[in-house]
Amino acid sequence: MRAILAELNKTQGIWGSMVVGRDGIVVASDFSIDVQESQIGAIASQILVALDGALKRIKMGEFKRFMIGGSENKLALINVGQTILIVLMRRDVNMGLANVDIKNAMDAVAKNSRM
Amino acid sequence: MWLFDTIGQWRTNSRIHSLEQVLTAKPTPMLYLQLADAHKEAGNQARATQVLKQGAARYPNAPEIVRRQAEAEKHEREMEIKRLVERIQTHPNPILYARLAELYKASDELSKTIDTCQRGIKAFPKYGGTYLVLGQIFADKKQWSESAAQLEKSISLDKYNYLALKLLASVYLQLSRPADAVQRLEDILYFAPGDEAILALLKTAKAEGDAQQPVTSLAVPQTKLVAPKSQTRVMFGGPDTGVRHGTSILPKPTHSKVQLFAKGLADLRTVEGVTGAILVDQYGLVISADLDPSLDEGLAGALITNVYRSASNYSVKLGVGQFEEGVIEGQDGNIHIVQFDDMILTLFAQADVKLGLVEKSIRDFAESILQQ
Repeated sequence: MRAILAELNKTQGIWGSMVVGRDGIVVASDFSIDVQESQIGAIASQILVALDGALKRIKMGEFKRFMIGGSENKLALINVGQTILIVLMRRDVNMGLANVDIKNAMDAVAKNSRM
Repeated sequence: MWLFDTIGQWRTNSRIHSLEQVLTAKPTPMLYLQLADAHKEAGNQARATQVLKQGAARYPNAPEIVRRQAEAEKHEREMEIKRLVERIQTHPNPILYARLAELYKASDELSKTIDTCQRGIKAFPKYGGTYLVLGQIFADKKQWSESAAQLEKSISLDKYNYLALKLLASVYLQLSRPADAVQRLEDILYFAPGDEAILALLKTAKAEGDAQQPVTSLAVPQTKLVAPKSQTRVMFGGPDTGVRHGTSILPKPTHSKVQLFAKGLADLRTVEGVTGAILVDQYGLVISADLDPSLDEGLAGALITNVYRSASNYSVKLGVGQFEEGVIEGQDGNIHIVQFDDMILTLFAQADVKLGLVEKSIRDFAESILQQ
């Protein structure tokens, strides 16, 4: 799992990424900057609960991805079955490029989770 | 002199850039302070305050950064109070009263807070946010019955008000009314499922209820939020705006900004793939909406505010800085959330909508509002 993340993090503009369970527990992480992984995992899990509830009631189907844009960076929470892939990116990241690599990482994480 | 200023500015900007880089790689409280000072030196007080806020959120136990952040916040509050007082005189609306009262409250100016709430309620008796602030003041003063009365009034006007429901549940516990507290907390879980703070409070309320046998409820009869009726809570809007609306809690719009909200949302709705738009205030109250008729506006506003609250409260801890925007992608559609000027704009769109087009439309909308 760590190798998948390391590969993703080679993409220009990506600070790092991690995989957490839906309960927020960190499965694997790889960041080039200082972050508090366990804290991010717990918060992501809490946000996911709010998202699942909202999408269900608004009838928009299953949650796929939540992209948060902030004053400093961008963060993507991506639903990968029983796990969440979290990617921290620069604010000015080229999303076209990043999306391709994120999709590849998603597929690899999903495959790895099934093994 | 001009050259001297330019060189000075260049030095400051270089310093800001280099501090930002070091801060991203290895943050420390001292670096946040230095970066805030550099922004202040560059004449950007707002950015300096923002940096101090981020630093204080990251290092809540670092005394100097917390002190400086409190000072900056106080200054920011004073400026905002001045601006709101002026706006109330020229273009009064209920949100301004509630916001002003909150700022007075944060500055510990209780008599001004109460006076502002009372004036707000007198001018706009059907706005729930002002009753909420009054309820908070009574709760701070431990006047539980008075607080409950204000909060019940707030909820009767706005049944999805997270803050009012949560505080009312706590007040009911103080009044030894755990059964009523449980009811209110379950109401919140309808639109904020899995909210950890609410679940913890619910556990306490249920334990107190079990200990208090037989349960004697003094509450007025209340309706559970299991099947919300279609209750449009459009605060602004009118027959000539083209926006679907129900019971307006304000008089017919009297100023251009109000009409601009409605027209802006109607314009957004014309973008290909956009299925609805809603504008809510910081309390989750619907300001204006143009949604699919199958969607309850109040509920949509509450759900979105809950997601926004979850993301924005923790955005610094997530490493993104201050929350600016969010895009939720679901199997059958997308939701775009943008924060600006104390409001949250949300757009509902089909899954295959052109994101660039949506972002441009949102920018146009925000610009047209902010220019007013």
